[in-house]
Amino acid sequence: MAIEVRHLTKVFETGRRRAVRRVEAVSDLSLTVYPGERLAYIGPNGAGKSTSIKILTGILHPTSGEARVLGLVPWLERRRLAARIGTLFGQRSLLWFELTPRQSYRMLAAIYGLDRAQEHARVADLADLLEAGDLFDLPVRNLSLGQRMRCELAACMLHEPDILFLDEPTIGLDLLAKQRFRELLVRLNAERRTTIFLTSHDVADIEHVAQRAVVINHGAVIYDSEVAAMRRTLLSTKLVEVGLSEPAPLPSTAGVTVLEHTETAVKLSVDTAVRSIRSVLDELLDGLPVSDISVLDPPLEQVIAAIYARPRA
Amino acid sequence: MSRRRWPEVTAGTAALRAVAERGGLAIALVFYVLVVAVLAALWRAAVDSNGGEVAGYTVVAITWYAAMAEAVTVSLNQRMIREIGDDIGSGAVAVELLRPAPVLGVRVAGALGRTLPRLAACCAAGAVLGLVTAGVPERPAALALAVPSAVLAVACNIVAQHAFAGVAFWWRDAGSAWFLYQKLVFIVGGMLIPLEALPGWLEATARLLPFRAMAYAPARLAAGHVEPVLLLEQVAWLALLALAAGAVFRAGERRLQVVGG
Repeated sequence: MAIEVRHLTKVFETGRRRAVRRVEAVSDLSLTVYPGERLAYIGPNGAGKSTSIKILTGILHPTSGEARVLGLVPWLERRRLAARIGTLFGQRSLLWFELTPRQSYRMLAAIYGLDRAQEHARVADLADLLEAGDLFDLPVRNLSLGQRMRCELAACMLHEPDILFLDEPTIGLDLLAKQRFRELLVRLNAERRTTIFLTSHDVADIEHVAQRAVVINHGAVIYDSEVAAMRRTLLSTKLVEVGLSEPAPLPSTAGVTVLEHTETAVKLSVDTAVRSIRSVLDELLDGLPVSDISVLDPPLEQVIAAIYARPRA
Repeated sequence: MSRRRWPEVTAGTAALRAVAERGGLAIALVFYVLVVAVLAALWRAAVDSNGGEVAGYTVVAITWYAAMAEAVTVSLNQRMIREIGDDIGSGAVAVELLRPAPVLGVRVAGALGRTLPRLAACCAAGAVLGLVTAGVPERPAALALAVPSAVLAVACNIVAQHAFAGVAFWWRDAGSAWFLYQKLVFIVGGMLIPLEALPGWLEATARLLPFRAMAYAPARLAAGHVEPVLLLEQVAWLALLALAAGAVFRAGERRLQVVGG
């Protein structure tokens, strides 16, 4: 097992003496992650994602429950575990801005106990894998965010971790950079069998990277399913936003819900289980004076609302 | 896996960073030259009006004293103690727990590496300034002791700043503790005034405190006093401060792991 969690609970106490308030950030969480899996671990803000990741990486003690990551108890064997996992936490950079990525890798390699020969071999290997060799000798401050994230990924892969914990890794990236980053994660997983544990607010990250999605809310798992199944049930909705050059009536379309219709814009929700996005777009482009059109994933909050709205088994 | 090489690589990488920040290095150097020139002029006036000596220091000796005391202070990142405290307070230190190396060790090695290029530049500028404005120190051999003493001084200061800043593990608004720390180095550390020039009771107190290892020791050696015992005292203080900082960080990390960042 890559990760095994049983009845994990974390309670934070805030305030002083008589006014102590107890907040249960993680509540009876149980979860198993298999080696080589690509798992999306998602939930709204305050759901307990970050707290549970901190426990699984050993930087936070749980109040009760058990967890083993790569056979180690994270909070008791933190440093041993740190040598076998890679972490990329949102906006916290692993690189030093005044230096080139290659210079930062030298320091990280030393911290992870690699000798010079191992360091050179792995940096060259990652340059090929991430197609980023041309970026490794530029100062980090001169890189775009997308380029930097590829270099960050190399930084957390340098010691060949068995599990990669990624917390909102695509935040702030443009569409192309996001897509490239997702492809790299999938390739990394395919070539190295690295287990991917990904948290994100971006539904597209889940669809394009993960094989399995675990949704947590109020510190507990509320949904655990293959992404393919999730796509059929919960991710079958796409949002279409259309800008109009002049007011026009909408063509009647099956499988489409009109969310908003003004003189200059239309917002639709499309159930892709009923209608293909392509057929809806064709119909809109033929029947409306379209000045702008975009297709969006539903926000995560909508997916979670749909989970709660499901009939219980 | 190889032998542990993170201390020298961390320090070396940090030194590269310091050299890469040419603007910061140049500003520190200009500030250093200005401060030493002003202090040397003030001390010259004081010594001249006091019959050629103040607390046993001649013009030559006090100029070299001021040059070294400022070099070991200016070469340090002046915001370091606040930055360490902020990193602890904001939880950024928690991310450093995700590496298989001690947080304190990596931080101290990095800070030392970042300081040494500045220290070398300030010492070189200070030596030129001393030679031009005052002349050769009375016992030039003492300078050979002053160089390792300067390195020990910045090491003591960096380790002590980590121990002090560690209060942020428990107390979020630790700004006043940092303010106090800097003033202690200035006064009882001998940065502004040689300890011999302080009132008797204050000098006696200062001699019991670790701050004199951070400025007074290398400055007194640079002033021409061949007193190798000062180096031994610095080593002893460095060991004690490292133990204290280690204990603070271990306790702080445990607290962070229990209550969160």
